[in-house]
Amino acid sequence: MRTQIQQPRTGSRILRNGAFVALPLVVLLSAVADPTLGRELLQWVPYLASGFMMNVVIALSAMTLGTVIGALFGMLSLAPFRLVRYPVAAYVQLFRNAPHLVLIFATTYIFPFEIVIYGTYLPFPDWVKAVIGLAIPASAYVAEITRGAILSIPTTQWEAAKGLGFSHGQALRWIILPQCLRRSLPPWMNVLASITMGTALASLVGVHELLHAATDASTAVRRLDFTIIAYLVVMAAFFTLCYPISRLTRRMEGRFHAA
Amino acid sequence: MPDFNVTDLFVSLTSRIGLNYEFLSTGYEAQIWRDGFATTLFLIVLLIPVSLVFGLVFAACLTSGRLWLSVPVRAFVEVTRNTPTLVQLMFSFLVLNTFVSSLVGGVQNNPLSPFFWVVAVVGLHIAALHAEAIRAGIEAVPASTVEAARGIGFSPLQILRYVEVPLAFRASLPAIVNNLINLVKLTTVGNAIAVSEITYASIMVWTQRDNVVSLMIVILLFFSLINFVVARLGLWVERRLAVPGYGL
Repeated sequence: MRTQIQQPRTGSRILRNGAFVALPLVVLLSAVADPTLGRELLQWVPYLASGFMMNVVIALSAMTLGTVIGALFGMLSLAPFRLVRYPVAAYVQLFRNAPHLVLIFATTYIFPFEIVIYGTYLPFPDWVKAVIGLAIPASAYVAEITRGAILSIPTTQWEAAKGLGFSHGQALRWIILPQCLRRSLPPWMNVLASITMGTALASLVGVHELLHAATDASTAVRRLDFTIIAYLVVMAAFFTLCYPISRLTRRMEGRFHAA
Repeated sequence: MPDFNVTDLFVSLTSRIGLNYEFLSTGYEAQIWRDGFATTLFLIVLLIPVSLVFGLVFAACLTSGRLWLSVPVRAFVEVTRNTPTLVQLMFSFLVLNTFVSSLVGGVQNNPLSPFFWVVAVVGLHIAALHAEAIRAGIEAVPASTVEAARGIGFSPLQILRYVEVPLAFRASLPAIVNNLINLVKLTTVGNAIAVSEITYASIMVWTQRDNVVSLMIVILLFFSLINFVVARLGLWVERRLAVPGYGL
């Protein structure tokens, strides 16, 4: 019985670590197998890489913005005033349930393409709109995570803090939030992975990112095998970015459950 | 015609607060928009059973203990979970669809529509997420329960059917409902390959009317409502299936 359980585990461990290199390996092998294809791909790699940089930039900016707003909203959703609590709850409900694509469309088409500040025209590029479009759902998820994390801290902690002479704000800052941080890290990383994958949606509103670059490349080269390879590169790029995040998340979740 | 008057009243009332729903009283655009809602709802109703069936099959493969079953499924699950659905959809539509076309001899013979590819890609993507949830549920079934079932002479498939899945399904129901809410949101990727679901239909309307904000409000409320209903149904199923005293 024991060997039966052990066997798939070692198998899956090889598979799990092999997964890091499997997709890039497929791309590399097919590029080597057909040199004309490889040369074509090599030409387009810088273009694809510049697209992927955009994905990373959008994901990181959206997550930063979303985390700041979300953490704030999460704390506000526990405020003792209904006038604060209800609008925040409505925001979270509305945007947590909205498709990312719809929000990206909303920000892209509603915001102007330039803003006027004191008579100077500042361009408002599409990728910034995509950042805002993804930051909105991110903030709603993070608000929910923050709220859940704060509520998961036993009330006795608050009482003990009060007993030690901490004010409400001080207790939140020095006692509750540090504990929340550890608890909310795994779900926060899930949001990070989800937002990172959501950046591909920006291609539908014309942002020059990886999927858009791959479509450009495949329409320019007009070879079926190149199209396959281009999209495999896209998959491999996203996979190498998101797979470590999800592996790490699962490991942290496991450790958290064990603790 | 009372129906006509209600539409007119709605249009004039909303125009007073600066929203533009004038297209509702024209035949063609209103029809496109209504069809968009219908297509999205149809996609959701179709995708929920598809994703659940495949999720169950994947979970059965993952927990079968046979490498030739679990390794390919595990690889598929990992790739699906860690790449954007839109990329999968574009890959399927541009690459797999072309293969199918050349197999049957020409695009005109290809029976697979964009609608099919949305159902296939989104359905299998959510199925992979379901599979992970159900697998965790199956692994949480106490070993003694499985041994007892084996002791009374259940075959491995019977254990799965009568012991593990009923318990695992209950344990994984919250995660499954969460995945279904993701499913509702994912139906919008159909937009990329011209499946006329609600976002695609709305683009058709707002390029003519320039009323993005008005349409956006309705779309957001629409998805909020659907997801509210899905979450409520999930809660209801959870309560209906609860085994008294089992703690699930």
